Amino acid sequence: MATDSDSIQHADPDLRPAIDRSLRHPVMFFFTSAAAWLAVALVLGIIASAKSHAPEFMGNIGWLLYGKSQAAHLNTLVYGWGCQAAFGIIIWLMARLSRKECRNPGTILVAGHVWNFAVLFGVIGILSGQGTGVPWMEFPSAVWPVLLISYVFIMVGSVVQFRCKEGGHTYISQWYLLGAIVWFPWVYATSNLLIFTFDGHPLMDAAINSWFKSTFILLFFVPVGVGAAYYLAPKVTGRPVHSYSLAQMGFWALAVIGPWTGMQKLTGAPIPQFLPYVGAAATVLFFIPAVTVAVNILKTVSGHNTTISASPTLRFMIAGIIGLLVLGSIGVCLNFPSSIKYAQFSFAGYGYEILAMYGFFSMCAFATMYFVVPRITRREWLSRRFIRWHFYLSIYGMSTIVICTIGGGLLQGAAQEYWNMPWSDAATRGYAYGWGTTVSWLFILFANIFFLLHLLLMWARLGRRSQHPTLLSKHTSESPHGPEGDIDEIQAANA
Amino acid sequence: MADSYKPVDPDRPDLDEGTNVVRAHAAVLADNAAVVRERRVRENGLEPVSLWVIVSSAFALLVAGAVLNAGGALFSYGEYKVDGYVQAAAPGGGDEGPYTAPMIDALSKNGAKIYAKCAGCHGPDGMGDGAQFPPLGGSEWVTGDTQRLAMIIMNGVQGEISVKGRTWNGNMPSQMVLNDVELASVMTYLRNNFGNSTGDIVTPEMAGAALELYKERADGAAVAPQVTEAELNADHGKMLSGEVIDPATIVDLETLQPVEAAGAAE
Repeated sequence: MATDSDSIQHADPDLRPAIDRSLRHPVMFFFTSAAAWLAVALVLGIIASAKSHAPEFMGNIGWLLYGKSQAAHLNTLVYGWGCQAAFGIIIWLMARLSRKECRNPGTILVAGHVWNFAVLFGVIGILSGQGTGVPWMEFPSAVWPVLLISYVFIMVGSVVQFRCKEGGHTYISQWYLLGAIVWFPWVYATSNLLIFTFDGHPLMDAAINSWFKSTFILLFFVPVGVGAAYYLAPKVTGRPVHSYSLAQMGFWALAVIGPWTGMQKLTGAPIPQFLPYVGAAATVLFFIPAVTVAVNILKTVSGHNTTISASPTLRFMIAGIIGLLVLGSIGVCLNFPSSIKYAQFSFAGYGYEILAMYGFFSMCAFATMYFVVPRITRREWLSRRFIRWHFYLSIYGMSTIVICTIGGGLLQGAAQEYWNMPWSDAATRGYAYGWGTTVSWLFILFANIFFLLHLLLMWARLGRRSQHPTLLSKHTSESPHGPEGDIDEIQAANA
Repeated sequence: MADSYKPVDPDRPDLDEGTNVVRAHAAVLADNAAVVRERRVRENGLEPVSLWVIVSSAFALLVAGAVLNAGGALFSYGEYKVDGYVQAAAPGGGDEGPYTAPMIDALSKNGAKIYAKCAGCHGPDGMGDGAQFPPLGGSEWVTGDTQRLAMIIMNGVQGEISVKGRTWNGNMPSQMVLNDVELASVMTYLRNNFGNSTGDIVTPEMAGAALELYKERADGAAVAPQVTEAELNADHGKMLSGEVIDPATIVDLETLQPVEAAGAAE
């Protein structure tokens, strides 16, 4: 490629800032409002988790009862944080990978505001007792069409960019992102229509709801997280993706397996009996795309130990990819015919969802944000310490939550099987693990207060003006870049 | 900037980077340090697939196959019950055979549910409305001969009828949507509630005899004509035929068949 003419060779460095500039407002809007919703979700999560082991905690506040705070916690986590982080990632990555500037930042911004107000309205609805009671779809049923319509306006530009890109080649991240863009409205509209609009059997509504939760994770959050990882790993290390054919296999495996998952939640319920078992088998099979992606990305970055330890992006991304691997493995363990019943009605199902949403997706989303924000704000992250706190509190908190909810959940499920013992025995077994979960959510809340503060400072354009990225290793004067330089000083010296 | 732009290699995504030192520095000075720093990447790695990926994927396939196998036939929408998923009762605990009750309680319990239909006119307390609908509590038609009561329920009543010393002139439609068990239940309920206490029961066998009478009376028509007070007193002033059963007989709640005393311990 070095033989190509100079003018063409240097086009990309010019185009990239142009793309970043065109997208800076929508992307920053999504990232900051997502991080703010994450903080809200975590506070609600702590309250809900505390109530699971200390029911009298805030017991006299009607709008924070467990049924409301837990529902609000999950819905803000999914629609406030998860979806908006994903939107920011998709629109930025799609524009960069398709080499197209964003032509409709205004539309995206307006639709993004509509999305935020709809989520706010939905959360108020839940807390005031107007929720639907359908897990992950608790927003009052007037909210979902608004979310769906604003989604279309947010995403349409990315689809156009993909269609208009020059050259026929599609990079693996684009496969994943386009998949996520198309699958979300399918899953979301199907489930909401079948549950809220059409008059189906209530038992089947419950089955559709469990399908929704599972496919929402596997066909939206997983492809976005994986797509981002396939972009970041080669970009930061400067190495090609380890095996490109393996990457494509992983994508198609996910596309084929994902839609079958979910109904194992209703094993033993009087629905056609093969449905839950197909769901369980597909969730076991999800291990294949998970291990494919994880091996591919970890092999891509392996050997770059100094880069990994220095780069916030790579650290978070690797943590997320390990989260994906754990998610796939736990899917195998929890969906074996003899173990479904232990996870079915206990903490363990919640643990699986949280592992997917935070342990995998959120870590990949943080990685992308640490990469993207300096480019669109043209400032460097302010503080190594903030990033470190964010990272360590996140991974310690997350690992403890996974151990507490899944380990404690299995014990709880086993206690439930002693059906001639009082039910409270099962609850007692989960007691200590409930405490553990609450404390770990506190860790994660601290982590994200650092992150939110850091992000807001960047949003206010108070980041460092420097040529040097904020790395997690100590900057020394022996840095290959020369002494730590400040752009203003250089400009002053040159003048 | 973008108008004159042509990618280096249109077949590849934007992962590559050219590095012209002068331009790069110009860009740095123009504030784009982070962008200019981005690495150059050739995208298509062609490393062989690790054996461990294949082995672990095969393991997952194996497990998934076992799970599918546990679920029975695929796409058989008629099968609802997973064998062995719901635990069988352990000896000494849990579900102890059929649920039982004295026959009078069993029938009255059913009858109370069916009476919800009657309550619209005769009132939830069985006392009528005092104007159009006569009371059932203390009514000689209810506590008297069972055949008269059965004929009233099945055919409905037309014309004047004297209840508790007062003449009523309503129009009761036929309630002939009952089977023998339902008819027996509601009759037993009426005769032992609202202050009535005949203490006897109308068995499904007796109710079956009443249904036969109804069919005879309808004489091939879909609906029999309503009865009058005169006809009731003339033709139906007797008890329904059938074996008289002790009201305290312990029966299975589902089948209403007597069960052995040993199984009746509650």
